[in-house]
Amino acid sequence: MSRDEMKATTNQAGNAVDSETKKADQSAAVTPLSLAQVRAELQGVKGKRYWRSVDELANTAEFQAAVEREFPGAAQEWVDPVSRRGFLKLMSASMALAGLAGCTKQPDEPIYPYVKAPEDLVLGKPMYFATAHPFVTGAVPLLVKSDEFRPIKVDGNPDHVYNQGSSDPYSQGTLLGLYDPDRSQHVMYRGENREWAEFAQALQSKVAATRDGTGIYFLSETISSPTLARQWKAVQAAWPKAKLVQYDPAIAGTPAEKGINVQYALADADVLVSLDADFLSSAAYPGFHRLVRDYAERRKHPEDGMNRLYAVESMPTTTGMKAEHRLGLRASEIPAFTAALAQAVGVSGVTVPAYAWTDEQKKYLAALAKDLKEHAGRSAVIPGLYQDASVTALALAINNTLGNAGKTVFASAEPLNPLPSDQMAEMKALVADMNAGKVDWLVILNANPIYNAPADLGFAAAFNKVNIVAHLNSHLDETGQISHWHIPAAHYLESWSDARAYDGTASIVQPMIDPLYGGRTAHHVLQALLNEPMLSPYDAVRETWKPAIKGDFETGWRKVLHDGWIADTAFVRSAAVKVDIPQVPAPSAKDAMEIIFRPDPSVYDGRWSNVGWLQELPKPVTNLSWDNAAIVSGATLTRLGLEEDDIVELSVGGGKVKAPVIVAPGHPDNSVTVYLGYGREFAGRVGSGAGFNAYLIRNTWAPLYATGSLKKVDGKWGIAITKSHYQDHRGARFGEQGTGNNSLEADEALGPRGIIRYATLEEFKANPNFAHEGEGRDTPALDTSMFPNWSYKDNAWGMSIDMNSCVGCNACIVSCYAENNIAVVGKQQVRIGRNMQWLRIDTYFEGDLSAPRAHFQPMACQHCENAPCEQVCPVGATVHTPEGLNTMVYNRCVGTRYCSNNCPYKVRRFNFLLFSDFETESLKLMRNPDVSVRSRGVMEKCSYCVQRISEAKIAADKENRPIRDGEIVTACQQACPASAITFGNINDKSSRVAKLRAKERSYQVLADQNTRPRTTYVAAVLNPNPELQQMPVEHAPANG
Amino acid sequence: MAQIFDRSSNALARASLVLTGLIVIALGVTLDQLQRSPWVTRQGQRPDQPVPFSHKHHVQGLGLQCQYCHVTVERSSYAGIPPTKTCMNCHAQIWTNAQLLQPVRDSWATGRSLVWTKVHDLPDYVYFNHSIHVNKGIGCASCHGRVDQMPLMYAQNTLQMEWCLNCHRNPAKNLRPTSQIYNMAWEAPAESRPVWCTAADAQSGAPTAESVNCVTKDPAGAGPEMASLDLPARGAAKGLAGDVAAAGLPAMPVYRKFTSQEELGLFLVKHYKIRTPRELSSCEVCHR
Repeated sequence: MSRDEMKATTNQAGNAVDSETKKADQSAAVTPLSLAQVRAELQGVKGKRYWRSVDELANTAEFQAAVEREFPGAAQEWVDPVSRRGFLKLMSASMALAGLAGCTKQPDEPIYPYVKAPEDLVLGKPMYFATAHPFVTGAVPLLVKSDEFRPIKVDGNPDHVYNQGSSDPYSQGTLLGLYDPDRSQHVMYRGENREWAEFAQALQSKVAATRDGTGIYFLSETISSPTLARQWKAVQAAWPKAKLVQYDPAIAGTPAEKGINVQYALADADVLVSLDADFLSSAAYPGFHRLVRDYAERRKHPEDGMNRLYAVESMPTTTGMKAEHRLGLRASEIPAFTAALAQAVGVSGVTVPAYAWTDEQKKYLAALAKDLKEHAGRSAVIPGLYQDASVTALALAINNTLGNAGKTVFASAEPLNPLPSDQMAEMKALVADMNAGKVDWLVILNANPIYNAPADLGFAAAFNKVNIVAHLNSHLDETGQISHWHIPAAHYLESWSDARAYDGTASIVQPMIDPLYGGRTAHHVLQALLNEPMLSPYDAVRETWKPAIKGDFETGWRKVLHDGWIADTAFVRSAAVKVDIPQVPAPSAKDAMEIIFRPDPSVYDGRWSNVGWLQELPKPVTNLSWDNAAIVSGATLTRLGLEEDDIVELSVGGGKVKAPVIVAPGHPDNSVTVYLGYGREFAGRVGSGAGFNAYLIRNTWAPLYATGSLKKVDGKWGIAITKSHYQDHRGARFGEQGTGNNSLEADEALGPRGIIRYATLEEFKANPNFAHEGEGRDTPALDTSMFPNWSYKDNAWGMSIDMNSCVGCNACIVSCYAENNIAVVGKQQVRIGRNMQWLRIDTYFEGDLSAPRAHFQPMACQHCENAPCEQVCPVGATVHTPEGLNTMVYNRCVGTRYCSNNCPYKVRRFNFLLFSDFETESLKLMRNPDVSVRSRGVMEKCSYCVQRISEAKIAADKENRPIRDGEIVTACQQACPASAITFGNINDKSSRVAKLRAKERSYQVLADQNTRPRTTYVAAVLNPNPELQQMPVEHAPANG
Repeated sequence: MAQIFDRSSNALARASLVLTGLIVIALGVTLDQLQRSPWVTRQGQRPDQPVPFSHKHHVQGLGLQCQYCHVTVERSSYAGIPPTKTCMNCHAQIWTNAQLLQPVRDSWATGRSLVWTKVHDLPDYVYFNHSIHVNKGIGCASCHGRVDQMPLMYAQNTLQMEWCLNCHRNPAKNLRPTSQIYNMAWEAPAESRPVWCTAADAQSGAPTAESVNCVTKDPAGAGPEMASLDLPARGAAKGLAGDVAAAGLPAMPVYRKFTSQEELGLFLVKHYKIRTPRELSSCEVCHR
């Protein structure tokens, strides 16, 4: 069928019976609705109604245009500067030769054997080493897969009590950071290549000349290494007037910098309250892995009871979307709300600022306080990191009052990071000293203050008054460009260090590879000033932990390196300490425009700007990739007369910055969220120029949220949002609902397709089979298909995804990138729907625009038993295996894309261009050698990590045994902090996946299409507070 | 107006039609043959190597075992190319001045690899695993030919996909007892060369090498091989005999005699638990 015919068909209405009348109806439906109308429409709706973006909900003309095609926008066309015509001319010549190209010989391939083979190395078998990713909110213990001593995959350490094998997008992304071709590679002095020894000597002689360290300043990222802290203390002792300033923009101004160390044991909590604490979406919140695991564990077996999450938050996050009851408040209202809550649960001595709460907010507060009091001792109140200090104090006080302290909430006197300080104050003092000419040498350790120092300090101006600036960092970044000395920093996978996880357990950071570019660490710099300047970081780390390792040191040390942690070093936990409640700030005026600063969920404070995997990752909730944006509510957008993608100018104090505006459903009105970490000038080939620099409007006096203003300026930004990708076109032609241009979400929105199924706990108890009742949820009988059924004799691989556990954190997607050599395509390609992620997380919003709930559904190839793609491939490039995998044979694929067209789940990805980088040397080292790197013109998709299946099969076959349950772990499953993904053999009825599939809550997406997917989803069960039925929907289990 | 073409051109036209057809067919056949020819597959070619290493001399002449150099063949996907150290184990003491070995000594002295040219070179999209083949009864010689008779290494087979499938569709025809994997001279059983095998199915779960025992001498004759390979308890220490009997050890294993590869292959397919041809020829076995 030609594209025009398809268009004609798809423009028709869903029901083919009476197409003329329906056509008229349809054209009416296509007329855009105003937001008010949308809201009005939603209010009248009974039953569950889902939607994905506001455009989709309103069915705007733009949305219709965007979704008309399989790959939205101009995806079908050649978009490079070379015109399509010119390209075809070029290609016609090479096409003629293409037939012959198949006959060419392979080039000769050389073999470079070792001269002396390392002991224990078996080529072709990876080795695994324990290390840790040192991070400011607590180290992430890792187990790194090393192929021929090249780290090729980073995963959580499965034996570590803290994260138990799970990881997060940041940690996964650091692997690409190691092989980043744009890392700086030489020690430089005023632009000339030098040696490390020259720098060390210059620094040593300078410091020696000062006698007491006067004028020597160190500006470091937050020091998280106990050894580095020890080295600093030694430097301080030797040179008492030398000064250390720590500055981490994402931590400065938060309770984390001051060393407040609170730990939560959510496994024992029935009621969880997040006060702007985004503890479910990324490792930016301390203890993310542990908190997600504990949270999810209490939701996996609703029959045994489950927890209830309340979220009061200033911007929509996955935490809020997962919450049973979410209340969107502006950031400045949250301290006052917390104070009111504290008062309501009986905390004494709280002064509550007067504020005109709405009825809804009052009702929420009352119900929340009541529920907390009912669950005293079995609840946990978690304060936000990016909130006023009073929120942290009040939350502790509430936990104390409720008796949660010592049960679900613990405090530790030891700070997480060894040298807590008031970073903003230290920065201010540093800049004052710089301006006063007191700073002779400024040694910057892994920081980039020119880019991310608070705007009001005028750091760049003060910088010029420093005599000599030395800069140690991984890239020749904004600061490195203008520093006198630049020293390339070693990546944590290249160096020795140590760090402590959230629970305090000390981990040794051990190198996986020699520094690729001779990088140094902060350990080297500080050690250069001590008595033994040549002492290596390895020796320094050993010295630090000598007292902690019991028994014979060498034996103990080997065990520590093997395990990855030092036993018995966890923080001593105590019941929560007595807290002084500071003055609670009053909320800003209701019509004041608030600007909230948050580290980016993908690139954090900008340190991972040049990691393509993270840049391309669609951010949770907004699905924005490659940019940050001014995120506002729909109502604010309408009030200001803006449209999405319009450029606005944000001003706070004297700073101004231009930003694209986007809507996040559920964002509080009169409030804008901006992510830090974008607008880099010298990030490298990937990150430079992406987004806008929010640090330009972030000041020392308001590092977390500020009152500012927003005005429209001309132009459109051109953001890349992956939401309206992946449309299905066939609905209309098969007499189903919709215009035929629907995403899965639109299908869901328009009729009871049952893609998202959930019930409340009470409904579930009344009717455990709720997921299978209702229209359109019958799975057709086995003989419905024209094709003969496959039989699966031995293994039959299947996956189960627990919708109740998934928090949409994206760790799985980045893990998939690394495991499967997935290409990064760039913003322009993402804009036209060509992103290559094999796995996506579909976000289904439900309910009211201003207070939606969201359901996160990881969506990858479903490995259908009756796969529509297999039936249409003209060259047999996608075939069914005897174990039920739907496998791709890349070298057979000729790129017709019929398979993708025929896939109802829209999970296939096509290499429109040569997306894989076959040229860059450093990236070659990173590839997983067990997976082909795909070239242009080839379709690809999730393979269920077939390389891991093959490996396990070979291992099992050699031992003549069946594959054990749990022996095959897919990359997404391995990374998931919520253990939401289970993989295994569904023929083995005792396997975990088979048991999950047998659950009554288990369902298949689009089962009515008779695709018989191997991936099944376990329907969510929510545990709402009966007193808060604020959702405008009714959950009647019988009619879905 | 006179005809431009003479009547005779009709025949010419017909002939050219036929000829065109023939040329197209010939071209197709040529390309097909070319694709399978040693020019493309490099079958039988001996590329230049830094050292004219003779497998014949080392294997047949000196009796080195394959695994002395190819150490990981049973454990990994790669059989392994020996490090220079392996060469120097001997050549530090013998032929220490041989001109031919100069590159080896250079490599040892400088720490730079000897750069060999790959003789058995599969395309990069093929994921071949040595260990599973060796563990499941495919001998080295089945794919690599009589390496012990090759003064210079060459590929005996095309290593093309049709050649792989040839065996994956019927593995029985190439299976041999795992004890004979490294035996270059192994030949399929025949009337004149019978093989006796016994399967220890009770030990289900044991690795393949332990699940089947094959001998080339009649076990009824109680040859030395049997004594060394089977049931060490029986007939060993006299004092244990009573215990052994009490423990109810199985009786003397039943050996079956094989006189053709077909019978032996089917027996080994069963007891080595070789996957079915349908599974073995599934795409994801080699491509991913």
